[in-house]
Amino acid sequence: MTEEKKKRRTATEAAAKIGPMVKAMIASVLQARDEGKPIAYTFICCCYDEIIRAMDIVPHWVENYAGICGAKRDAQRFLERAESESFSRSLCTYALCGLGFDAWREGLGEMPPDAPWGGQARPDMMLGSGQILCDPRNKWYQAAQQYMPDVPVYNVGLPWPPYENDYDYREVQDYYVEYIVEELKGLVAFLEKHTGKKMDWNRLSELVDLTDRTWNLIWETYELRRAVPCPMGTGDAMNTMVPIVFMMATQQAYDFFKELNEELRHKIANKEGEIPDEKYRLIWGGGLPSWFALTDFNYFNSKGAVFPVETTYRMVEAVYNFDVDLSKISDPLEHIAWRWLKYWTYWYDKARKRPGSHPDVERLIQYIEDYKIDGVVMHEAFSCRTWHVGLIWQLNRLKKIYRDIPSLILESDIVDISSYNEADTRARIDAFIDTLEAVKSKER
Amino acid sequence: MAEKDAGKGLAAVEEYYQDYGSRIRELKRRGKRIMGYLCAFTPVEIITAAGLVPFRIKGDVNEPITKADAEMETIVCPLVRSCFDVSLKGKYEFLDGIVIPHACDSMCRTYDVWKYTLDLPYSHLINMPHGTDDSSLEFYKAELDTFRRSLSRFAGGEISDQSLTQAISLYNENRAKVRELYELRKTNPPLISGTEVTKLLIAAVSIPAEEAAELIDSVIEEIKQRDRVLAAKSTRLMVVGAQVDNVAFIDLIENSGAWVVADDLCPGAREFFSDIAVTPDPIDGIAERYLRKIYCGRTFRERRGGYQEYLEQRFGHIGRFIRDFKVDGVVLYIYKYCDPFGFEVPAVKSYIESKGTPVLYLEDEYSMSTIGRLRTRIQAFLELLSSK
Repeated sequence: MTEEKKKRRTATEAAAKIGPMVKAMIASVLQARDEGKPIAYTFICCCYDEIIRAMDIVPHWVENYAGICGAKRDAQRFLERAESESFSRSLCTYALCGLGFDAWREGLGEMPPDAPWGGQARPDMMLGSGQILCDPRNKWYQAAQQYMPDVPVYNVGLPWPPYENDYDYREVQDYYVEYIVEELKGLVAFLEKHTGKKMDWNRLSELVDLTDRTWNLIWETYELRRAVPCPMGTGDAMNTMVPIVFMMATQQAYDFFKELNEELRHKIANKEGEIPDEKYRLIWGGGLPSWFALTDFNYFNSKGAVFPVETTYRMVEAVYNFDVDLSKISDPLEHIAWRWLKYWTYWYDKARKRPGSHPDVERLIQYIEDYKIDGVVMHEAFSCRTWHVGLIWQLNRLKKIYRDIPSLILESDIVDISSYNEADTRARIDAFIDTLEAVKSKER
Repeated sequence: MAEKDAGKGLAAVEEYYQDYGSRIRELKRRGKRIMGYLCAFTPVEIITAAGLVPFRIKGDVNEPITKADAEMETIVCPLVRSCFDVSLKGKYEFLDGIVIPHACDSMCRTYDVWKYTLDLPYSHLINMPHGTDDSSLEFYKAELDTFRRSLSRFAGGEISDQSLTQAISLYNENRAKVRELYELRKTNPPLISGTEVTKLLIAAVSIPAEEAAELIDSVIEEIKQRDRVLAAKSTRLMVVGAQVDNVAFIDLIENSGAWVVADDLCPGAREFFSDIAVTPDPIDGIAERYLRKIYCGRTFRERRGGYQEYLEQRFGHIGRFIRDFKVDGVVLYIYKYCDPFGFEVPAVKSYIESKGTPVLYLEDEYSMSTIGRLRTRIQAFLELLSSK
């Protein structure tokens, strides 16, 4: 049963446009289905955005659709369907929601009744990304073949070097890049085979360049949020992640951030903050949000707290800050591979300079300083080990090697609303605000 | 304290199992350096060739997880949490380092927690790919070379091809002995119980490979000579799951009126039924075996042919065990929060059932507190099987 939830108030006009954009994106996939265009199930942060765009593949972002079901508080029936298929409820609930939906749709031969925003279209192919990031990326589509045995899967290996004490990642980066390039070549061959179309390499190069420019623009735009008062918080960033992870390598994503950049500059010039009386500046330091409870960000706002920065979904760096000049790498696949590797190793050198540090912790420290942060908030989603393991340790390490900064770890899930208790969550937020106030009082 | 030699036979197995790590503690006192590791995907041959003693870190189902929760989220696989918890509590104070392969998120994503919290002199993550295609294999070989160089630095000497080849030969011999041991389970009733086999294999990964070889040999000899024949029971079961590093569950089944005669577990058939080929560059054989020959849910096998062929490609070894060991029913025993195995359940269940073999799927939490509930489910399953 769907339980409609009051919409979160956005701080920016740009963020307010995201809902209709996502709805249009889902509708365009359904339309592509009708028109016979090739549709691929895809994952965010997959590194192959430009390739699928250049091949005119219509991506259906499965995590996005599960998030929509969660946000509309209409995921439970799909989770229960997956459970009835013998999938454990402790597994990734994005995947469970998607698999439950697929099992239902394939069983019926049509969309499940009242499917959110028209439903998840049957794909022509499924593009996994077997990487160090996330097990469900290998397993989800393999499991989905139980219901769609005719739909082929291609799994792209996309590792990055671990942060180790006894060697620098540059010692191994060449063979990482070689591997990623080989995997991307395999993806191109797979897409060519299943679409009967050849890759347009010039177009791919153009999209690679567009992606570089979009990364730079996003980074520069998010850096504007350092301003006091903060013009845009993490609540909005959970909207503006859409062009970052679902629309990369499109002019639409670039234009969106151009507009947001201008809007933020205007707000900063007018000293217009997300809230009128900003008391506490927080970092969303890890964890995906509970898509069914985004109004919690408004609750923070009501207590005088803003989030000028987050690590979640900030999946870009300015490419001109990398230690390789990407503009000199003309081969588009190599270019993509180097960008991927340099993104994931970006904080390694900084971490090396601080005894006992680690790239993830160093990133938190840098943001705390750059954005004048008073406290850290994280979210532990029970069903996702990818983004939610290591958070406690990061906080402990942060306090050990940097300073004893107030922190809060919220506990719930990304999609499964049965894990969420609003009263309890808000009581914990209240207590955290009290702590922040006590620290501020001492400093005064 | 007097030095003890390596033990033999089922009595030694019992001692090593009950006081897990006791033999390694003894060797540490004699100056050996000990490398702890998680999971069957750690290439122990490289550690042995470096002159170090590999030691499989195991959890403890009887020990409530307490200290780990201050550093590691409770959404991690309960087995990994337990391993970390007992390590934090000083059970493995003899470790000089730790090696963790990229087997699953619960291992890979906790690597830094292990590394920084235990703060051992050595640590290394082997970034094993999921795919088994040629480019994944080449990448994995490069990763193994990186591990080899890194471990050489720590060990203080080169890991030569010759020492690697010797280590490969040693572990291959052990695997052959385990396969010989499994032959003893094919009779009806089996000559050795599932509990005895499980204890032996757990003990074997807690001692040096040379000693494990003697231990397995001595157990095979003892079993062949013992007068006691195991009681006849009507049902022969196979257990399929991830890592089972205690006998509680196997024992429960065997006390409920069935024999566990086969498994697809670690330690178990999954890690002892495939050898490393002798290759000019020993890393080639090691890479091929760990990436392609171990059938585990963490590995993504590229599909060849239709979907039914794909199921055969992934789970055919289970089908062969069912046939060769005359299995009446299969228990899928999966830990909560285990993504690699959890996502396989509908597929593996349908595959096994398509062979006409009933399946019981159980999700567990790696704790003795669940034993009562599991017993009820096992008893009901055995009743179902006996009524067929």
